[in-house]
Amino acid sequence: MRSRYDWVIWGFLLAGLAITTVFVLVPVLHAIGLSLHSAQSFIAKPVWVGFDNYARILSEPTFWRAALNGLIYAGGSIVLQVVLGIAFALVLNNAFPGQKLVRGLAVLPYLLPTVVVALTFQWMMDGSFGLLTALAREMGFGIVPWFERPGTAMATTIALSVWLWTPFVTVCFLAGLQSVPQALYDAAKVDGAGAFSRFLHVTLPQLRPVLTVVVLLRAIWMFNKFDIIWLMTKGGPLGATEHLPVLAYKRAFSLFDVGGGAAVATLSFLMLCTVVAIYFRLFPLEEKK
Amino acid sequence: MTKPGKTNVSRRKVLAGAAGLGALSMFPAPAVHAQVHELRFLNAEPAIDSVRALRVAAAQYERERRVKIVVDTVPVGDAYTRMTSAIRGGKPYDIGTLIFVAHVLSLANEGQLTPITQLVNKHKWGKRILFPINGEQYWYMYDYNLCWLFYRKDLYDQLRLEVPKTWAQLLENSRKTMSTSGTQRFGITTPVGSNDATNWMSFGYLWAEGVSLFDDKWNLTFDTPEARKKTAAYLDFFAELYKTMPPGSTQISFGNVLAQFSADQAAHAPYAGRLIEFLEQRAPQLADKYGMMPYPDQGGRMAAVNHGYDGWVIGKTPLAEEAVRFMEWFSDAHYINFLHSAPLHFQPPRLDIYDDPRWRAHPLIEKHAAAVKQMQGFLEDPNIIIRSIDTEGPAPDLRPAKIFESWVLPEMLQNKVLKNMSSEECVAQAVAGMRKAIG
Repeated sequence: MRSRYDWVIWGFLLAGLAITTVFVLVPVLHAIGLSLHSAQSFIAKPVWVGFDNYARILSEPTFWRAALNGLIYAGGSIVLQVVLGIAFALVLNNAFPGQKLVRGLAVLPYLLPTVVVALTFQWMMDGSFGLLTALAREMGFGIVPWFERPGTAMATTIALSVWLWTPFVTVCFLAGLQSVPQALYDAAKVDGAGAFSRFLHVTLPQLRPVLTVVVLLRAIWMFNKFDIIWLMTKGGPLGATEHLPVLAYKRAFSLFDVGGGAAVATLSFLMLCTVVAIYFRLFPLEEKK
Repeated sequence: MTKPGKTNVSRRKVLAGAAGLGALSMFPAPAVHAQVHELRFLNAEPAIDSVRALRVAAAQYERERRVKIVVDTVPVGDAYTRMTSAIRGGKPYDIGTLIFVAHVLSLANEGQLTPITQLVNKHKWGKRILFPINGEQYWYMYDYNLCWLFYRKDLYDQLRLEVPKTWAQLLENSRKTMSTSGTQRFGITTPVGSNDATNWMSFGYLWAEGVSLFDDKWNLTFDTPEARKKTAAYLDFFAELYKTMPPGSTQISFGNVLAQFSADQAAHAPYAGRLIEFLEQRAPQLADKYGMMPYPDQGGRMAAVNHGYDGWVIGKTPLAEEAVRFMEWFSDAHYINFLHSAPLHFQPPRLDIYDDPRWRAHPLIEKHAAAVKQMQGFLEDPNIIIRSIDTEGPAPDLRPAKIFESWVLPEMLQNKVLKNMSSEECVAQAVAGMRKAIG
């Protein structure tokens, strides 16, 4: 039987579909269309080239290097964000003096605009007068080549991303922890389970739905993350931090290759869709009956 | 029915009258707007003084000519994207600022620009500052941003150093001006990152040595045995110079260079006139202690400055004629005021300006007359080469632009100083990178 509120549901659904069409579907289709054309700029008349852009892009080592960089960046960031996020959430879930204040402060990095964070860290990691550089020197590490080596540049970028977005993970897990019934812990204690055992057999299984969603969201965001890398390294040095979004941007906006940039973006989109599909298969959001 | 003693005005009549007036008032409006045109000006000089100079000019033009100038300001790196977005959005700018020759070429090729050859030809211009496309001028250049080397004159006097004429002398001076007592001072600062600053500041030595990227027939002259040898020698020199630079050179950009020189952290630094303005504002104690020199070559025969430039274009819009009229008026009445908004950084490309007492009357131009004379000398000295990656070749073209934007040359430096690769291998990779970029 139809509810008298059906029109509200249909209204919201249609509005959502319209917004998705205008702001997601049309741009995606436009990008896919561009990837089948050759154009030097967004105002140039595109020339149909079929799948030539894809063949060209896929044959270039820079594309595969960028894909690998993206995997390293996204993978490294997600693992650290989740591990640290759970650890911080466990700490913040305990009662201690000033708990509310610390919880508030823990979210702070997530509230800061990325550009502010990037500029601040650029100055703090300045090779000659950066605060972190000086601190590392005083601690006997010498001059840390934050961005001077391909490996350290990637590690620094990952570390910065972890600093910036771990609070989001912390907040999600903290919410999840508060919904775990205390009775489960009490029962585990009665059975003689230690702290680690309780975490492994009570906390983690209870957090699984949150974990599934958080990892999925972070994976999508980190794989597509453009701003922090562009602001910090522009993909350098020597392409060490150039991942697919940076490569797509450079091709479309700097190298007068709009079709190539769109092809990179489309391939990146397809790769992400594939990974997400596999992820849903392995970790379904709804429990199987 | 109307009551006695009352006027014969009902509420209905008042409402009807108001509605009629409202409807009538809509008709004259288009006529008024038709008389007052509105030009859209995209400015990419966001410094407050430059914006103010443009707004003052716009206000005066509106008073005099009844043409409104709406000035939108964006960061310099966003100008081209904003121009193309405006075109695609159906509201193209009548006047725009562009800083990259390939962007002008791209817009001109798409028929989006109005030629201003007549306006440009009214003046005499400095060396290599005009970029005609198919015989037409599309770009009204408002400044040179040449890049040369600054050094600390007081340290040179103190250490009895001579202004270097060769790479070896510069390297020696850079080593000697390093200091570990008190605040650590490095010999020279130079960017080596994947960025535009490196493209602009780090290859003057190569141009001084006579290396070019293309000849008049678009052959890649960078790939000749002679150019390869010279470039390898430059990389060997740069690797030694790198040892006198502050750590973190891959992250250094324009602002860091200014900060390091003015904070006594580097005794030499590449830049344009902006550095003098910066010293005046932030480190006045150093404002009379700097010297300037072009990039030296290996043997002391030639020298170079890296090319830099900015200009205005007129869009192909219904108001293009009006925009050209504005530019003509502006270039006579207010251009000098605009130049004064960055008096030493906006080096005039129009040669008549150097003799104009109005321009020379600015206090900073008067105070730094010797520096200004030297800057002018860069344009006149036949032994000074003006060259940059993006302006290489016989005419504006996308090929040098692609080499610029693909950061082939900065990566050549990185291969040398970060990976310690052999110079010959670095050059070979750069050649391969250039060939790939230009297709």
